[in-house]
Amino acid sequence: MTGLARTGRKSGITMPIYNRTVAAITLRAALGRKRALLFAVPPLILVGVSALLRLSHPADPAWPARILGDFGFSVVLPLTALIIGTSVLGAEIEDGTIVHLLATPVPRRTIILTKFVIATVATMVFAAVPELVAGLIATGGTTRLAVGLFVGALFGAVIYNALFVCLSVATTRALALGLFYVLLWEGVLANFVAGARILSVGHYALALASAVVRDPALKPGVNLATAVVMGAIVTVLALAVAVRKLASFSLRGDAA
Amino acid sequence: MSADATGVIHDLGYQRYDGGRLGRAQIVRTLTAYSLRAAFGLGRGAKAKIVPVSAFALMCAPAIVNAFVVARGGARAFPYDTYSAPVRMIIMIIFVAVQAPELVSRDLRSRVLPLYFARPLRRGDYPVAKFTALATACLIMVEVPLLVLYAGTIASAHGGGAVWAQTRALLPGLAVGLMWAVTLAVIGLAIASFSGRRAYATGAVAIYFFLSLALAEVLIGVAGDGTTGARLGGLVSPLTVLDGVRQWLGGTSPGPVPAVGSYGAAYGVMLLAACGAGAAVLAARYRKAGLA
Amino acid sequence: MTSVELDSVSHWYGNVVAVNDITMTIGPGVTGLLGPNGAGKSTLLHMIGGFLEPSRGRLTVGGSPSWRNPDLYRQIGIITERESAYGFLTGAEFVQATARLQGCPDPAAAARRAIGLVDMVGPMNRRISTYSKGMRQRIRVAAALVHDPEILLLDEPFNGMDPRQRLHMMDLLGRLGEQGRTIVFSSHILEEVEQLSGTIQVMVAGRLAASGDFRAIRRLMTSRPHVFVVRSGDDRRLGAALIGRPAVNGVELTPKGLQVRASDYGAFSADIARLARDEGIRLRELLPADESLESVFAYLVTS
Repeated sequence: MTGLARTGRKSGITMPIYNRTVAAITLRAALGRKRALLFAVPPLILVGVSALLRLSHPADPAWPARILGDFGFSVVLPLTALIIGTSVLGAEIEDGTIVHLLATPVPRRTIILTKFVIATVATMVFAAVPELVAGLIATGGTTRLAVGLFVGALFGAVIYNALFVCLSVATTRALALGLFYVLLWEGVLANFVAGARILSVGHYALALASAVVRDPALKPGVNLATAVVMGAIVTVLALAVAVRKLASFSLRGDAA
Repeated sequence: MSADATGVIHDLGYQRYDGGRLGRAQIVRTLTAYSLRAAFGLGRGAKAKIVPVSAFALMCAPAIVNAFVVARGGARAFPYDTYSAPVRMIIMIIFVAVQAPELVSRDLRSRVLPLYFARPLRRGDYPVAKFTALATACLIMVEVPLLVLYAGTIASAHGGGAVWAQTRALLPGLAVGLMWAVTLAVIGLAIASFSGRRAYATGAVAIYFFLSLALAEVLIGVAGDGTTGARLGGLVSPLTVLDGVRQWLGGTSPGPVPAVGSYGAAYGVMLLAACGAGAAVLAARYRKAGLA
Repeated sequence: MTSVELDSVSHWYGNVVAVNDITMTIGPGVTGLLGPNGAGKSTLLHMIGGFLEPSRGRLTVGGSPSWRNPDLYRQIGIITERESAYGFLTGAEFVQATARLQGCPDPAAAARRAIGLVDMVGPMNRRISTYSKGMRQRIRVAAALVHDPEILLLDEPFNGMDPRQRLHMMDLLGRLGEQGRTIVFSSHILEEVEQLSGTIQVMVAGRLAASGDFRAIRRLMTSRPHVFVVRSGDDRRLGAALIGRPAVNGVELTPKGLQVRASDYGAFSADIARLARDEGIRLRELLPADESLESVFAYLVTS
């Protein structure tokens, strides 16, 4: 009889990591229509300002690190990751449309990982690539700084999105908490308290960038080994927690 | 029970209310009061209070630290007109980003605007009430820490002269706080009113303020001290514009914007333009809002 | 054939017990879950559907628990009460996506069939955000049916449907039930339930108040003692006349009127009209004093 559990290849469930249908829905939900324009604004500003400064201050060597580091890396990257990372899953949970995904045999791990991949790639497109482009414009082609920050941003995109996807499943106030983390913990605390840097994703990414660039202007708070290890731990842990929480997703009583 | 084929309307004792009715002013007052409570999460569950309460506590933290410092004999740790600039800027961004959507996005999402406007409430009253509420909430967030700073300082002050000096220094600080409250409230509400999803509204407000602030700081830093670029760099962000206006009006404490010199008037104009734009956007948004 | 088995299942939210010690077996055919709002019907359906963990007790669907068991969804189709839908997808895209997620071998064909079943072929290429409430409900039913599930759980499925759509949906569900599927749907409207289901489970305040054939329960409900309040031109004389009738158990004069306890309301209704006319008493008002669903169910629980 149809409908009974059976083994074998089925369309859309060929790999236990990535599901094309989930990906398609997530992409359209997160980036559909006008919303993609919002994501595009910060990177456009980044690239635009870099171009402007290049035209007005071609010789000054100090400003590229500031634009790319203080603006691109420390602000555009985490905020873009925050918006994208919390909306790939958070919006569906808030709407209730997540039920349509959950009432299917698709493994929860697949749902989380697919959304995580979409979010990370989107963040790379909307934050890391513009960082590279802005870097190339700013340094006029001497690519070390630009490439270094690009690599760091890729790394940061991965970890940030794992963290924010996990937050979206764990709480309904994921965006607010994420804001607190990015603005307060990473923005203020990590600058003043040395211990806080060990738990700061921005510093992990900066450490990787610094290892590629070896520019004294970048001052990561942790060394490369710590950054890579902690980054990996945070990513894996966050995704694992997210999968567990999604597997125990509960619908509360009558009409939310 | 009448059995006429023609039909009758029975008198069930339904009574009309002919007494006095509270008017439009009362509605606006009530809406403002309710929104002010909502801005601090009062009247909702405990979760709604987390962000405002912790933001308020963090805002007061420098003032409390100052009380200890002054008691030990030190000088006042923070100026009245800038307070602790990084703390104030970041906390207020978070506060407005999270609470402005609580005021306007919820109503959009649950589509209750037709209910509001089916009362003797004019189209313009609603945004005015919401703005007053959020501005008052921001005022509390900004001025109370200043007052705590003041109280902590004069508690260890000696003599009437010292107290009077502190008071004179406090008043301009309060005026700066007022500017902050008005500006942040109107811009925050204007941005938040575009989305019924609280998360998106929060993100939009936070991104706007924080991104523009970071951009302004970078431009100022890049341009170098004393140059025109540094003086004008602050125009891109409302927070630095506020700081520029503060200096133009006589504030002397150092802040995120370097000495503006002769460009102070530009900052003043920019502030008025930003507030005006925010107010216009809000008004236009609610003139059109129907079932959307 | 898959059945749903509940054994002393309870669920509580903090201090509030939403589902209180329910034991029942749901077999093939259409079963209606009837009860007033807040009776715990949604909670029960969510538990059966694997979206809530029972705080106590054992709940199995086709032999295995539904909690944390995504593979079971190949056999289950669920429609929640909350009207959530991907507004940006068209109806056809939504059902087809569900078919793919369910692992159907030919998603496009399955989707077309399901959409045809719910009579949504016309608007299927429009965005769901343009649908009316009833259309949204029907497309969700299509998505729940697309993988041909053995078990169908529907939470207030007729919400928002106009009479024609409701008839059509009832017809569909009836046919599916006759095919041997296990269909459970909840409602607080008695007529919906009795038109569609053979078996009903009545829930009140989290407890199972009655189960079985709805006709038998109906008889139990109607042959219980009723209380009426009558206001007439002469309550005392009317009361004296009524107490002589066999359908009347008791009569009491109260300030609000004449309170009559009747054991058989059918016979009583005929009696009072005739008596009033014979005695020449004008009847002003005749109200049942305990017709709420809760009191009916309360009676069922205690009897």
